Formats: sequence, structure tokens, C-alpha cells
Amino acid sequence: MSQIRGLLYNRKIAPIVFLTPFMVIFLVFKVWPVILAVNMSFQRFEGVQNQTYIGLANYNYIFSFDRFFTALQNTTVYTMGTLLILIPLPLTLAVLLNSGRVIKATAFRIALFLPALASLVVTGTIFRLLMAREGFLNSVITNSGLEPVRWLETAELALPSLILLATWRWTGINMMYFNAGLVNIPKELYEAASIDGANEVQMFSRITLPLISPTILFVLIISIIGGYQVFIEPLILYPGGNSPGDGGLTMAMLIYRTGFTSFEFGRAAAMGVVLAVIIFTVSFIQFRFFGAFRRED
Amino acid sequence: MSATAHPTSSAVVSQSEMASPKGRRWISALTLTVLFLILAFIFVLPLYLMVLSSTRPGGYIFTEATNLMPSYTTLDNYSRLFAQFPFGRWFLNSVLQAGGYALVTVTLCSLGGFALAKYKFRFRNALFILILVSQMLPFNLLIVSLFVMMINFGMVESYLGAILPLAAHPIGIFFMRQYMLSIEDELLDAARVDGANEYQLFYKIVLPNIRPAIATLLVLFVLEYWNNLLWPLIVFRNPQNMPLAVGIASLVGQYRPSFDLVMAASTLATLPIIALFIFLRKQFMEGIAATGTGVK
Repeated sequence: MSQIRGLLYNRKIAPIVFLTPFMVIFLVFKVWPVILAVNMSFQRFEGVQNQTYIGLANYNYIFSFDRFFTALQNTTVYTMGTLLILIPLPLTLAVLLNSGRVIKATAFRIALFLPALASLVVTGTIFRLLMAREGFLNSVITNSGLEPVRWLETAELALPSLILLATWRWTGINMMYFNAGLVNIPKELYEAASIDGANEVQMFSRITLPLISPTILFVLIISIIGGYQVFIEPLILYPGGNSPGDGGLTMAMLIYRTGFTSFEFGRAAAMGVVLAVIIFTVSFIQFRFFGAFRRED
Repeated sequence: MSATAHPTSSAVVSQSEMASPKGRRWISALTLTVLFLILAFIFVLPLYLMVLSSTRPGGYIFTEATNLMPSYTTLDNYSRLFAQFPFGRWFLNSVLQAGGYALVTVTLCSLGGFALAKYKFRFRNALFILILVSQMLPFNLLIVSLFVMMINFGMVESYLGAILPLAAHPIGIFFMRQYMLSIEDELLDAARVDGANEYQLFYKIVLPNIRPAIATLLVLFVLEYWNNLLWPLIVFRNPQNMPLAVGIASLVGQYRPSFDLVMAASTLATLPIIALFIFLRKQFMEGIAATGTGVK
């Protein structure tokens, strides 16, 4: 007994004891499901208990499945669209609010951050209301003498609508990330640059941009990871998640449908594997690109 | 541009301030502020319209869509929400599940973070990297296999089933590790010399020192669970067990949702988070700043 106590109190054993609860949950609920999912992607399911190995049939199926490529394309366009807006816009706003030239900058930071407090479900319900045929947006549009827009009933408008929703929801959060990066840049750098006669554009491109690039990389990566998983927004925005002409069909939506509406667990798992490979590849390319980019500077 | 933020910080700065015409700068500040006022209005408006619509009878929500002043005000939507749906139950489920999730997760992350920050052992860095890389795993890869596991473990419709798959939180343990790196090794060694064992060390020295980090993570985890839909949607099918997010999703599922009830539900789901934000703004902001700049 005292030997066990002695062992437990050992300075070499203690960290293992501290780490065990986290690692058990990590291995059981994060690592094991990945192994299981890869295994499932080679199987056909008849119910939850009955499965047979079918080789690459699930992968063959999804790579010859039109909706899979629609979803892949939609998700990629959505992710790129959010990146094109949700990095330059919040960065610009953060720089302006940090310039000391905006009165009550903190109040504006809070106002722009407020949408982040609404859950994605609530964000979805609000935009479904605003974008309804006779909703707020169309009322404003018709009041200005223009034709109402069928936001939620037009296939081509599905991705723009989702990107608009994302812009409202994430601008404030990304702005806070950039703000945190900006306040860490030593003020003396700007003072030295202004002595040397640098203008504000030069200061931004030579000081701010290089020093904020780790934060840009961080926002880029989390936006890619988040963008490729977009699910709740189209689920709430459209009745039962069914967007017109599959215009808002995303990878995550297709996986959810395949798994929990059609109960094709094997195919859903295979789609999940493909999605994971895409996310890891794109993130890795970003790391490499940004690494090179930073070395040049 | 930092010159205006610290006008008196040095003689050089005030010189450069004089160099630029004061009038132009002032107008520029005013223009910028007005632009931000418009932007802030646009960003707050959807939330305001949510609350406003929730106080109007269903028949007036669209006819009054552009009226930004309260009209036909009633709380009838709220009473119908509680009468027709187990909304109180959903709310309670959200509180209990989010609270349970936050407590379990913060415990795992503090204990694990301490081991990663203050001890040397084999495979420590490899483990740490593995945990961080898992942050990139799309949850959609896991949902199907996790669901099958839940069935086999008998965890469908249970709090444990909702909480445990999310509890090994990579950002959480990373945040704790970074925070604990700042605890002085001398402080720990002094306590060891005084006869404290490793567990008393955690309880008596580490825990009091990481209170701000615990508060920050608790707030983040509560927010995270409160706003989560995907996993609870899969675990809970019984309306009595659903948290708010799943309940509201079930309200909007129909072809044409009753926006009066949906907006009342959305308002009630959002107000506690806004209240939490008002009282714990520091924790909200710190959590975001720390997770945002820590990864390099």
C-alpha cells in the first residue's frame, strides 16, 4: 500500500496521473473514432451492428456522385468567399480602430463583436426572417423602388446569402483576433518610422502587415477549417436544410444527410475522410506558403 | 498613426503631430467615427430586429418589417412558446449541459495542461503536437463513428454522451499549458522543499495562480456548448432532453416557421449570453485574444 502511494507521489509518475484523464477522453473520443471512421469507410452497413467489407466501393460511389462534387464546389466557393471578406475587412477595421483616430473605439469594437454572441442557430433564424420574401431586406429594397430579391429561393443566391451571414457573424471575432495582434506591435517601431518620414501606407505594409502575419495565418487556418465544415447555417436558413437546386448544399450537410437520413454510414464515413484530407492539405499548403512568405520578409 | 494615441509620449511625436495640419486630422477622425457609427448600426440591427419581431403578433412581423419602433407590442409569443413547447425544459437542459461540459472540460485541461507545462517526460512534445493537430480534424469525420460508439456505449440521449466526445479540448489544454508556463519553477520547488507532494502542489500553488485562466475557459466553454448544435442534434432526439439550440432548430424545421415563436425563442437563447458578456467581458476578450495570438 505504501509502495503504491510512494509510486503515485513520485515526481516521474505525477505528470502521467495529471495527464491521464485528458488522454483517456482524447484517445477514446478523438483518436479512436478517426480509426473507426477510416475502417467504416471500407464497409457497408445493414443497421448499426451488421457490416461487411466492400473495399473501395464507398469511395468509388462518392467520386462518381454528382451531388458530392456540387457540395465540394459549394463548400470551396463558400470558404474562399469568406476568406476574401473576413480577413481584409476585419483587419482594416482593427487597424482603423487602433489608429487612435476613432472616437469611442472600444464601444465600436463591442458593437461589431455582438453578433458573435448569437449562436449559429439564432443567426440562421434571424437571416431567414430578414431574407424572407416580405422580410426586412426586401421591404427596404422595394421601398427604394427596386424589384424584391428571392434570397432563399434562388440557387445562385445561396452562397452569397451564406457569405453575407458569415460576414455579419464573424467580422467582430476576427477583428478581435487582429486587435490582439496589433496591440502587441511595439509603438516605438511606428515612432521610428515616422521620424524616417514613412507615411501611413508604408507603415502598414512595412511594419503592421509583417508583424501581424502570424495572426493572419491563424485566422486563415481557422477560417479554412471552419469554412469547410459549414453546416448549421444552411440547415437553419432553408426548410429542412434543402436549398434550391442544391445551391447551398455543403460537404457537412451531405455527410449529415448520408449518415443520419439515409443511414449510409460507410459512405458518410468515406466523405468524412475525404473532407479531412482536403482540410489537412489546404491548411498544410497555407503553412508552407506563409512560412516562405515570412522568410522572404 | 500611433502618434495620436500617445500625443505626449515624446517630443518627437508631438513634433510630427504639428507637422500634419490639425484641422484635416480632426475631420478625418469625425468621418471615420461616422462611418463606424453606420457600420455598428448595421451590425446591431439584426439582433434588434430579432427582439422587436419577438414582441409583435405573427401577423404583423412582415407588414411591420421596416418599422424600427415598437408596434403592436405583446408578450403573447413568449407565453405561447412556454405553453406549446417544453421551452423551460430546453433552457434548463442548456444550463445543466453547458455547465457540466464547462466543468468537466476545464478540469481535464487544467490537470493535463499542468503536466505539459511543468514536467518533463517521454513523448511529451509528440503528445502535445498530436493534441494540437487534432484541432484540425473536421467534426464531420467523427460524427458517424461517434454515433455508432454512442449506441454501443448506451450513451444516446445522455448528458455523458453529449459532453464527453467534446471534452478533450485541444485549444483548452493549449491555453492552460501556455498560462502555466508563467508559473515560476522556484515557487513549485520551494513548496516541494516544504514537504508538499505533487498533488498538494497543484491544489495549493497552481490552482490559486490559474484562477483567471479557469474563469476565461469556463466562459468560453459555456458559450461554446450553449451555441453548439451539430453534436447535441445527433445525441438528443427526445424533446425532453434537448438543449436550446436543438429545440430552436426543431422549431424552424418546418416549411414556413412561425417566426413569432422562433424570434421569442431566439431572443431568450441570446439574452443570457449577452448578460454574461456584459458582466464577464474581460474573460470573453482575454479568451479570444489568448487563443488568437498564442498559435504561431
